[in-house]
Amino acid sequence: MTMNPISEKEEVKRLLILAILAGRIMLKNGAETYRVEDTIIRICKSRKNIKYVESFVTPTGIFVSLEYGEEVLSYLQRINTIKIDLNKINMVNDFSRQFVSSDMNIEEATKKLKKIDDIDNYKSITRFFSGGIICAFFSLLFGGSFLDFLASFFTGIIVVAISTKLNNLGITFFISNFSGAAIASLLSILFVKIGIGTNIDKIIIGSIMSLVPGVAITNAIRDTMSGDFVSGLSRGMEAVITAMAIAFGVGMILKIYFKGLI
Amino acid sequence: MELFKQFIFSFFATIGAAILFSIPKDSIISAGAIGGFGWIIYTFILNQYSSAVAGTFFGALTVGILGELLARHFKKPATVFIIPGIIPLVPGAGMYYTMLALIEKRFYDSVNIGAETLFIAVAIAIGIVMSSSLSRSIKRVKNKSR
Repeated sequence: MTMNPISEKEEVKRLLILAILAGRIMLKNGAETYRVEDTIIRICKSRKNIKYVESFVTPTGIFVSLEYGEEVLSYLQRINTIKIDLNKINMVNDFSRQFVSSDMNIEEATKKLKKIDDIDNYKSITRFFSGGIICAFFSLLFGGSFLDFLASFFTGIIVVAISTKLNNLGITFFISNFSGAAIASLLSILFVKIGIGTNIDKIIIGSIMSLVPGVAITNAIRDTMSGDFVSGLSRGMEAVITAMAIAFGVGMILKIYFKGLI
Repeated sequence: MELFKQFIFSFFATIGAAILFSIPKDSIISAGAIGGFGWIIYTFILNQYSSAVAGTFFGALTVGILGELLARHFKKPATVFIIPGIIPLVPGAGMYYTMLALIEKRFYDSVNIGAETLFIAVAIAIGIVMSSSLSRSIKRVKNKSR
C-alpha cells in the first residue's frame, strides 16, 4: 500500500485522538488507571509503523506520546467529572478488543465510540428506585423492622435523587455526600417522628449505604496493586474524604436532634 | 433459615448497588449472588468466631475470588462484579456508631468503634489485594509458559 506521507501522518494523528477518546470515556466512568493505560497502548500499537507508545494515566488526566517515523506526537487530556458507569467501561473494553483484531476504519471506530459515550444503560427513575432498594434491604440486614424498611426505601430514593442532581450541577463530591448524608438522617428522624419506622439508627445506617465510596476503595486497591501508587493514593484519599463527609453530615443532624431542635 | 434470609436481603441490596453503578444488564444477577455469598461468609464467621474484622476479610476474599472467576468466564472487567459485591461489607454501621459516640461525648467508645471500623475497611482492602494479586500472578505465569 503506497500512501503519501502527509495523509499517513494525518491517519496516525486520528488514531491517537481515537485512543484518547476511548481512554477518556473509561476514566470518566470510573475505570482503574492501569486498564486505561493498557487500552490506549493496545489501540495505538494495533496499526502499522508506530514504533513506540507510552501512556501515563492518573485519575485526573491522561498523557500519551507516540513515536511515528521521525516524529513524536504527544497529547494531554484533563479529566474533570467522575461519575460511575461500569457498563461503559465494559463496552469500551469490548470495543478495543474488536478494534485491535479487525481492520476497522478509524472514522467508523470514532463514531462507534461516540455512540457508546451517549448510551444510558438505565433510566434515571430506575436508578433512584434502586437507591431505595439498597437502603431498604440494608436496614433489614442490620435488624430493622418492616416499617423501617419502608422508611429507608423512601429516604433512599430521595437521597439518591438529590445527590445525583447535585453531581450533575457540578458540585464537589464532598458537598454532595455531605448533604446526602444530612438529608438521609433528617428524613429518618422525620419518618420516625410521624410514626413510620421505629429505629432511627437502622434507618440512617441503611440510608447512608447508597453513598459509601465502594468504587474508590476498590479502584484504589487495584491501582496500588498494579504499581500505580499515585493513582492509588489519590483514589484512597477520595474514599477517606467521602467517608468523612458522610460522617459529618450524619453527625451534624444528630447533634441538632439531641439538642432538641427537631 | 436465618442465613438464607440474610442471603436474600444482601442479594437484593447488592442488586440495588449494581444498578446504581450501572453495570451491564446481563450480569446483574451474578453480581447480586456474589454480594450475597460475601455477606454469608461474613455472618458465618462473625457468629462462629465473633470477629467482625476476620469476617470482613474472608467475605472480601470470597467476593474478590468469585469476581475474578466470573470476569474470566463472562469476559468482562473484574470490577463489574467486585464493586457492587463489596458494598454490603463496607462498614456503614461502624461509621454511624462512631459518630454517635462522638456526639454523645463517649470518647472512649468512639475510639473503640472507630478503630474497629478502620480495621474493617483495611480488611476489605487486604481481601481484594489477595484475590486480585493471586489472579494476576496466575495470568503472568500462564503468559510466560505459553
